[in-house]
Amino acid sequence: SLIIRGEKDEHAVLCSKDKTYDMKIADTSNMLLFVPGCKTPEELKADQASCNIIHSQIAGFSKNYWELRRCRPKLKKLRKLLMEDPYEGPDSRQDQASTFSKYTTEDLLNLIQASEEEILHQLQVIDACKIEGYWRILDFDYEMKLLNHVTQLIDSESWPLSKVPLCACLEELGSLEPREMIEHILLSYGRKYIDDAGEVFFEMHEDKICRAIAQMLLQNAVKFNLSEFEEVWQQSVPEGMTTRLDQLQGLALVDKSSRPETIFLLKVEDLPEDNQERFNSLFGIREKWTEVDITPYIQDLCAEKQTVGALLTKYARSSMLNGVKVYNSRRPIS
Amino acid sequence: SPCLPSGGTGALAQWVLLELQGEVEPRQSGDLAGSLLGDLHYTCEGVPVLIVGHHILYGKVVQLEKPFAVLVKQGGASQPSPTEPHGHYTVTALIKTKLLFKTRPKPIITHVPKKV
Repeated sequence: SLIIRGEKDEHAVLCSKDKTYDMKIADTSNMLLFVPGCKTPEELKADQASCNIIHSQIAGFSKNYWELRRCRPKLKKLRKLLMEDPYEGPDSRQDQASTFSKYTTEDLLNLIQASEEEILHQLQVIDACKIEGYWRILDFDYEMKLLNHVTQLIDSESWPLSKVPLCACLEELGSLEPREMIEHILLSYGRKYIDDAGEVFFEMHEDKICRAIAQMLLQNAVKFNLSEFEEVWQQSVPEGMTTRLDQLQGLALVDKSSRPETIFLLKVEDLPEDNQERFNSLFGIREKWTEVDITPYIQDLCAEKQTVGALLTKYARSSMLNGVKVYNSRRPIS
Repeated sequence: SPCLPSGGTGALAQWVLLELQGEVEPRQSGDLAGSLLGDLHYTCEGVPVLIVGHHILYGKVVQLEKPFAVLVKQGGASQPSPTEPHGHYTVTALIKTKLLFKTRPKPIITHVPKKV
């Protein structure tokens, strides 16, 4: 079945179980009559015997119809809603407050312009979890606190990063944090698997952990001296992990033109969802971008078979700067 | 085009679209509903011919590049309320073919009195 979703101030979309479509009403000056069971010449030819009159009823008629075009699900609102009340842990008094800005799956289906599958998938992508029936995003500080418990335990037990046992984690950390939260952080930052003996382990995502720690460092200032940051960052990650700047795609941007070089936080999820607005925002932050730098910030705009190159052709203008191809806005920046 | 329910096209009715130029009006001032539109024939070459009232229209069979799906609204009030989902529809039928009539209807002259 299909469902139309959207609030009064939004353009309507039609959703199937797993896809989202922009809707447009198309008018025709002709009349369209629908006839159930009406046969085409081919179908009648095949049935030579029937020369009788077939009484058919016209089921209805219309002068307009809906035209659908597959579109990106509008999921930015999902994060926005869940960020209204991030989960700060069981001790937080805030949680005993009203359920006003808390959302169940049903609530989200009514408010988000996307199909159910796209919504559920996105909830997984953003590491949301269900607490008492409501979908919650963890407050970043609380999330780092949980992650820190786990990484410190991994270090003190000298577990290999690819084989972190669930049971032991729950046992050692269960007194500090809710068991569901311990398991949740392991699921968010690791890949769950079961060994031959039937025990549950996690293979930790080195890149994701390094990235989270970088965010923790970067959010404390407007920008950082790049080399200083890289040093502190490497020292802050768990033993055995190696930091690399490419882990920070879509999270932070390096300014190679400043002396010394600097790095600052720029999260793609904080940028506008609409294509034109996104490009305006990016060109407002920096006048000229290389393809390498801008790609992580426009990748998510690509439609089903669209490339980053196609987007750049449409929304940007290219030029050469010091032998390198750069992109800038098509419009004059005021 | 939207993905169809996994019942396969066997589970969905196939309808045909009749596309006419202009308006269709009932003969007397009655309703369209329940009235006879006309007779549809196909010539040996498969050309659809529609006889409406005293007029004859010649058309052609067109395979639709983008098929239509016929949606039926499921339950609920005609005006969606804030607490209800915004409009639930089921696909009842598919339309892949249309009979397009865009030539001018020709009046059928059945009797021409001869001058004696």
